[in-house]
Amino acid sequence: MSDTFVKAVKTDEVAAGGMKSVELNGRELVICNCGGSFYAIDRRCGHMNAPLERGTLEGTILTCAMHCAQFDVTTGEALAGPVPLFLGNEPPPPRIDAFLRNADMLMKQIRTESIHTYKAKVESGWVLVAL
Amino acid sequence: MNTESRKRALRMFFDKLVGPMGFKFTPDAELADFLLEQEVTLETRHGVPFCPCQPIRHDRSRDMKIVCPCIPFHRRHFDAMKRCWCGLFVHQDVTDPDSLPQVPAKELGLE
Repeated sequence: MSDTFVKAVKTDEVAAGGMKSVELNGRELVICNCGGSFYAIDRRCGHMNAPLERGTLEGTILTCAMHCAQFDVTTGEALAGPVPLFLGNEPPPPRIDAFLRNADMLMKQIRTESIHTYKAKVESGWVLVAL
Repeated sequence: MNTESRKRALRMFFDKLVGPMGFKFTPDAELADFLLEQEVTLETRHGVPFCPCQPIRHDRSRDMKIVCPCIPFHRRHFDAMKRCWCGLFVHQDVTDPDSLPQVPAKELGLE
């Protein structure tokens, strides 16, 4: 990672507790505003590549919208994997049940990897990211 | 995944949840750290941070009532003890958690 900073978003484009996806030099990133401190992370979830800006940000912890894997946006560290499958109290129709169980069995083989982070700083109302 | 990071994350989430319920983390820092570590182990195994001091019965409707913080499901019992079952959380006015015994709900006449 170089220390060449590139303009990503204006600071007022990302509300506190919010996230915004950007594409910089062909890379997909998410800019996170954690109470006025900005962090830049890879856009893709370390579990199944879902776009992370669709998730929720609580403090510095991002929860992916797809399977609820969690990451610390300050370090990119994976904090939790996906939540377990629950098929409901009433069993679903057999074909759907078989499909979901198969998907669950496959998903159990998938590791949740940490995500990449980028240096970010604020200058003149812009969030700059080192690529 | 790193246990220490996950413990910090759980602490942050729980702190926000238990405050409005009238509870706080036990002032016994060593106990809190130990219990959080057990919860991280349980979460790694089951995907959910179950209470480390209550049995998992593999009956979802019962097991969901012991997901930490389980205070809402045992409100009368925990309020009577001024602590949760495992002791991770105590009432906000508690300064000496060692003085609060673990008393089964049945003995308190709550079952």
